[in-house]
Amino acid sequence: MNRLRGLALAGSAAMSLLLPQTAAWAGKADDTLTFATANEVDTVDLYYQNLREVVIISQQTCDTLMYRDPIDSAYKPLLGTSYRWIDDKTLEFKLRHGVKFSNGQEMTSADVAYTFNHARQPDSGMVTRLLVDWIENVEAPSPDTVIFKAKAPTPAAIEYLSGITPIYPAGHYDSAPTVQTGGKPRRDYGAVLPVCVGPYVIKDFKPGASVTLVKNDQYFADSPKGKPSIGTLVFKTIPDNDTQLAELVTGGIDWIWGVPTENAKQLAEAPNVTVKAAPTTRMSFLSLDASGRTGKNPMQDVRVRRAMFYAIDRKAIARELVGEGAEVLQAMCDPRQFGCATGVPDYPYDPAKAKALLAEAGYPNGFKTDIYAYRDRPYTEAVMNYLREVGIVADLQFLQWKALRPIMEGGKAQLAQLTWGSQGVLDASASVSNYFKFSVDDYARDAEVRDWLEAADTTTDPTKRKDLYAKALTRIADQAYFIPLFSYGRTYAFNSDLDLPVTPDELAHFYRAHWKK
Amino acid sequence: MGRFLARRLLLTLLVVLVTSIVAFSLVHLSGDPAAAMAGEGASATDVAAIRRLYGFDRPLTVQYFAWAADVLSGEFGRSYYLRESVVQVLAEHAPVTALLGSLALGFALLLAIPLGVLAALRRGGMMDRLASALAVTGQAAPSFLLALLLIYVFGVRLHWLPISGNATTAHYVLPAITLGMYATPALLRLTRSGMIEVMQSDHIRTARAYGLAPWRVVLRHALRSAIIPVVSLAAVQFGLMLGGSIVVEAVFSLKGLGQLAWESIQRSDIEVIQAILLLTSLVYAVLTLLADLLNALLDPRMRLT
Repeated sequence: MNRLRGLALAGSAAMSLLLPQTAAWAGKADDTLTFATANEVDTVDLYYQNLREVVIISQQTCDTLMYRDPIDSAYKPLLGTSYRWIDDKTLEFKLRHGVKFSNGQEMTSADVAYTFNHARQPDSGMVTRLLVDWIENVEAPSPDTVIFKAKAPTPAAIEYLSGITPIYPAGHYDSAPTVQTGGKPRRDYGAVLPVCVGPYVIKDFKPGASVTLVKNDQYFADSPKGKPSIGTLVFKTIPDNDTQLAELVTGGIDWIWGVPTENAKQLAEAPNVTVKAAPTTRMSFLSLDASGRTGKNPMQDVRVRRAMFYAIDRKAIARELVGEGAEVLQAMCDPRQFGCATGVPDYPYDPAKAKALLAEAGYPNGFKTDIYAYRDRPYTEAVMNYLREVGIVADLQFLQWKALRPIMEGGKAQLAQLTWGSQGVLDASASVSNYFKFSVDDYARDAEVRDWLEAADTTTDPTKRKDLYAKALTRIADQAYFIPLFSYGRTYAFNSDLDLPVTPDELAHFYRAHWKK
Repeated sequence: MGRFLARRLLLTLLVVLVTSIVAFSLVHLSGDPAAAMAGEGASATDVAAIRRLYGFDRPLTVQYFAWAADVLSGEFGRSYYLRESVVQVLAEHAPVTALLGSLALGFALLLAIPLGVLAALRRGGMMDRLASALAVTGQAAPSFLLALLLIYVFGVRLHWLPISGNATTAHYVLPAITLGMYATPALLRLTRSGMIEVMQSDHIRTARAYGLAPWRVVLRHALRSAIIPVVSLAAVQFGLMLGGSIVVEAVFSLKGLGQLAWESIQRSDIEVIQAILLLTSLVYAVLTLLADLLNALLDPRMRLT
């Protein structure tokens, strides 16, 4: 079915390129940039939805205390003007004066304290706990000063406060409706439309269908985000990739992402479309049951795990299969993340060595196992083919994520191909620490690694942190607890009238876009 | 008549009850609703927090009876995902599907019945061969392929019609043709075979012997008999269209019930799934009942007692 569909799409895309491009590019003419993806957006509150689309929309409309520049990853003050660590667990921010929310109210420290004190509550329903679970309390001693009290030293705090934790006015969630869920009452905070300071203002929101944003002419001039140029941004959900392509080619929309590799080349030949690929922080890796959570199994032997590492040609998968923007992953973190050490033991493709190691471990003819996966079946099939070459026959159990999640949590997957995007956080605490601190996802259960990571996550000295992460990552690689495969790339296609930076954070910074003259 | 309706009503309630239990169980057995809601970007901690907050950590029977009690008190609940009442969500999506289904069925009937009649009257002729080719093509071509072809020709090539969304009636033209083409072959074949059979029957021979005009024989006497099974089938087809034109709605980005059902299953939005099932079972029951009543009107031998 997919192949047939692919052929049909390739055919129609090819034909469309032969056509005279008579479509009017509405975007530039009416100063409206329409972007579309397949996902339905239920809320534009970043505390209640972690979809990348919502991060994109939120970053157009809702500023945060700090700003991580998507080009050079430098941290710049945004709603804050400066910060300092008073001690290991106390972080002070000075705030910008005269900045107003879209409702006209001036922002003060009380708003910042309110926002974080709401989000950090265990029953707030906030979806990305990592960003707020470190906070003990937030205080507002004066209108332009806000103080974060951390539960433990949190060196990644500045990263958590950059771009993904918007500030709302005090009392913002008071209007949240109380709803019944199977007879249980709860407040639906995500149903409240965000009120923020940002380059754009939400004009209209139709849950599951569209969001319309208009330029905020009152946006403060010296923002590191810059003044927005394009008048209106419209987000639309178009579930079908082929329809997205057709809409882009005919000028119905101006920006899409996730263009399949097989279509990217053809699309790039269209005169009115720009196609660019960029890396992302999403990693693909194999989780191996080294600690025997599933019971006695071959992967408890380090020689078997190393053999599996040697058996897979990760370069070929990244280059030939995943396509542009993809990179071979060296360790269990993204190289752009703070603390991600890349000089860890590597296992270049060497099937002979893999076979020798398997024989040494007592598996000269290989063995059989299940492999669980939930995303990008062809990539898993490629891994299975490489493993089969050295005698490891993996039976594919391809499930939806919601079905695989309980299996992983229950310690029932000997071998699984998983992905993780670090929730967009550029700090190793969001990647390697997520998997090796004895959580339900930890199939290595190495106490030494856990302790190093625990120390790294709570040490404020950057050099010490780097050393600790390096130690943990080196041991993880040496023991081949996980097999990092590749980081995903993303291919973006957009109206060539658009001047828009394509960044390696899997986001679109439309506030930096403008129409070409 | 009263007993017939009561029996039908009871049967409908039973169907609704059984489907709701099966659907509820399937949604939970097919995966963790909390994981579906949190998404693949969520950590184990995030999923656990959602599981607690939404009460998914309670026994299934407790969750089911809590939902059933709400429904019986007229409260259909709230979409976990879309953050709107289920009634409001259905009110937004159902008209899209109803309009699409009606237009598609109208298109299918307008194409199938005349073509079926002509094919039957000119057996083996050009029209019969054309009808046969259309039936085979309509049956064999997957909806998405036809949809892409229509998008290419009328959207990309000619710029005549919009290709996604449901802002205007023009947005429904291509989806209605795609969906209608799917229903056409069965209706066409049934019309044709029905007409062939009826045209050879005694009462048609008698009508001809009376010297009635040929068009009168065909339209007033033959078609009236031949169309009875077509009405039943059209009702079933309409039910199918209302229940799940998922592919067509997805390709043309129509926010209808099929797409809503599909998305809700993906994200385990149980209250929406249950409400859609409830609605579609009721629609099916009503349509079947209407088809029976219509058939009874068309054929006195089928009158209900």
